[in-house]
Amino acid sequence: MAGSGTGSATPPGEDEELEVLHLALRDLRREIRLRTGDASVAAPDAVGAPATTTDLPEEFDWLGLLQELRHRLGTLGMVERSGEVDEFGMDDITLDRSRVLLDFLMDRYFRVEVLGLDALDPEVPNLLVANRSGLLPYDGLMLSHAVERWHPRRERPRFLVADWLITLPFAQPYLARLGGVRACRENADRLLRKGHSVIAFPEGEKGAAKVFAERYALKRFGRGGVIRAAVENRVPLVPVGIVGAEEAHPILFKAYTPARAVGLPFLPVTPTFPWLGPAGLLPFPTKWIVKVGEPIPLDDLEVGALDDELLVSRLTEELRGCIQDLVNDALERRESVWG
Amino acid sequence: MDSSRSPGGDPRARRAASYNALVTRPRCIAITGLNTFLGQRLAERLLAQPDAPRVVGIDLRRPLRLEGQVSFRRVDLTHPTADGEVASVLSDERVDVLVHCAFRSSPTADREYDHELETIGSLHVMHACSAAKVPRLVIASSTMLYGPRATNPNFLSEEHALVGHPHAHCIQNRVEAEKLLGEWAPRHPDVEVCVLRHCWVMGPSYVDHVVRYFERPVIPVVLGYDPLLQFIHEDDLLRSFERAALEHHVGVFNVVGRGVLPLSTLLALAGKRALPLPAPLLHRLANVPSQGQTGDLPEGFFDYLRYLWVADGERGWHAFGEPVYTTKEAWISFVSSRRLQRFR
Repeated sequence: MAGSGTGSATPPGEDEELEVLHLALRDLRREIRLRTGDASVAAPDAVGAPATTTDLPEEFDWLGLLQELRHRLGTLGMVERSGEVDEFGMDDITLDRSRVLLDFLMDRYFRVEVLGLDALDPEVPNLLVANRSGLLPYDGLMLSHAVERWHPRRERPRFLVADWLITLPFAQPYLARLGGVRACRENADRLLRKGHSVIAFPEGEKGAAKVFAERYALKRFGRGGVIRAAVENRVPLVPVGIVGAEEAHPILFKAYTPARAVGLPFLPVTPTFPWLGPAGLLPFPTKWIVKVGEPIPLDDLEVGALDDELLVSRLTEELRGCIQDLVNDALERRESVWG
Repeated sequence: MDSSRSPGGDPRARRAASYNALVTRPRCIAITGLNTFLGQRLAERLLAQPDAPRVVGIDLRRPLRLEGQVSFRRVDLTHPTADGEVASVLSDERVDVLVHCAFRSSPTADREYDHELETIGSLHVMHACSAAKVPRLVIASSTMLYGPRATNPNFLSEEHALVGHPHAHCIQNRVEAEKLLGEWAPRHPDVEVCVLRHCWVMGPSYVDHVVRYFERPVIPVVLGYDPLLQFIHEDDLLRSFERAALEHHVGVFNVVGRGVLPLSTLLALAGKRALPLPAPLLHRLANVPSQGQTGDLPEGFFDYLRYLWVADGERGWHAFGEPVYTTKEAWISFVSSRRLQRFR
């Protein structure tokens, strides 16, 4: 083997060998599929292609998803942890393993339509601000997954998660490994300083707790933390409207008394949730539209200008209006909840 | 010698650097709690320096290993007049730097004595410093004092409030000692104070209740939680203290290793079995075996394995140099040393 190629330059023979290997692997996969009786998906392409294509893959890796789910059930969800995590606990190996699941949720389950991602600047960290909806942070997961797919260097933005969710037993280990970070100014600043994009949901708990009747009406936006974070760290502030997550977990009403016993702020009652047990936490397969808006110009704002609280609250309100508009546009675009 | 001489660093670091060049190294260093791991190892390291300073040891018991190398003075810090005794030692020996590490490595059942030693003992040491006009005071502290809380940011800076843990009396004692220090230090601006808050220590020879907990083959953990933990290797800890004693650093520093790892990953690396139990049960079990009489786990310990209390070490790394071991390497060094000990 002429394997002494120095670094970047690949000897011509190696390409061919790789090609042969790829073909063999593809045939093997097809063979396995035929034998397991899944003849409908035996078409020969899209297997060798890596999962990095930004457009909808021709064929979905159903077998991979099945294997992944079986594996997960066997180990309570924690498969193949790596020996290293980044400083906020994100685990690349867990993420790689979950990618099949995330792809499935994105392309097949929610059929997420992502618009206007090119408004993002891939060279700098961005502060994405979105409307929060749905109980579990599927919106954060989907948005960060969409940005990662689009990003030329596959950098994954971190999504901030409200306290009540990230401190919930069993939720915290998984959320942290998938890139969720507790929502607070210190964490957002540190992430932006280290060059990671951040997805913030300034509605916070109020957003997740919206009942079905008030869907897509944005709640008050925190206390101006997003504006301050964007200006102090000199990063673009990008509004994002997410439509669909609201109906994935429609909260009919909130029950307070039983929630107090388990230390939750409230117990959501959805058409399925307490009734079907944990299975009720599965989201409905709604049609999602994610609309990314143009960055809000804050360049002319000096850090000192943030001492003006009225200005900050006016900007926050502007941002809220901007996201509300994006949400309304996306709602008009969508034909029905199930899409 | 000083890595802090970087252009455009923070003004305090630059001032310290220029100060370092002017001021000679300390000629006499006193260590309270000479018999603790930290005190003993620090004394050894200081004595191994090329032009070694004189080391004065203050403790209850005479150390066996350092016999003849340090001038030992017996002072009981819990004695009501301990401040006067320490002050006379300090002025007799003309001490330049006092390193205060007379703290419990693990809490004991005698809560009252722990409080007398850790809180009142520290107060005595502070008073002695100002009375004997000692120019520098280095105090050992712990990042455990920030307290494990669900609402902590992922990285705690030195300015974060010290909340401690309401049920862990040793932590509360030290929080109180730091509070007293915060009141004392502004009244005595002529004493340079350096506080080193270190996280859990791992290494071949360090032992405390945390290490003993991790030595077990099956490790009880809190069901549903998997916090990120950080460690510092004992060598890095000692190097930081050595530099804090010999150089001029003022302020509070977190002394931690680089990197964090989830508890589950740590146990997987060590090949240990985790035994997940619900938190209330675990809290009760932790205190059952002997009602705190022999070295079982202190109250509140499991909260440190439940919530986040990772500290940001940037300032410490800048002042005392990059740690040689990361969190993972410190952990591996601990695990592999224990594996060898089993065959001793």
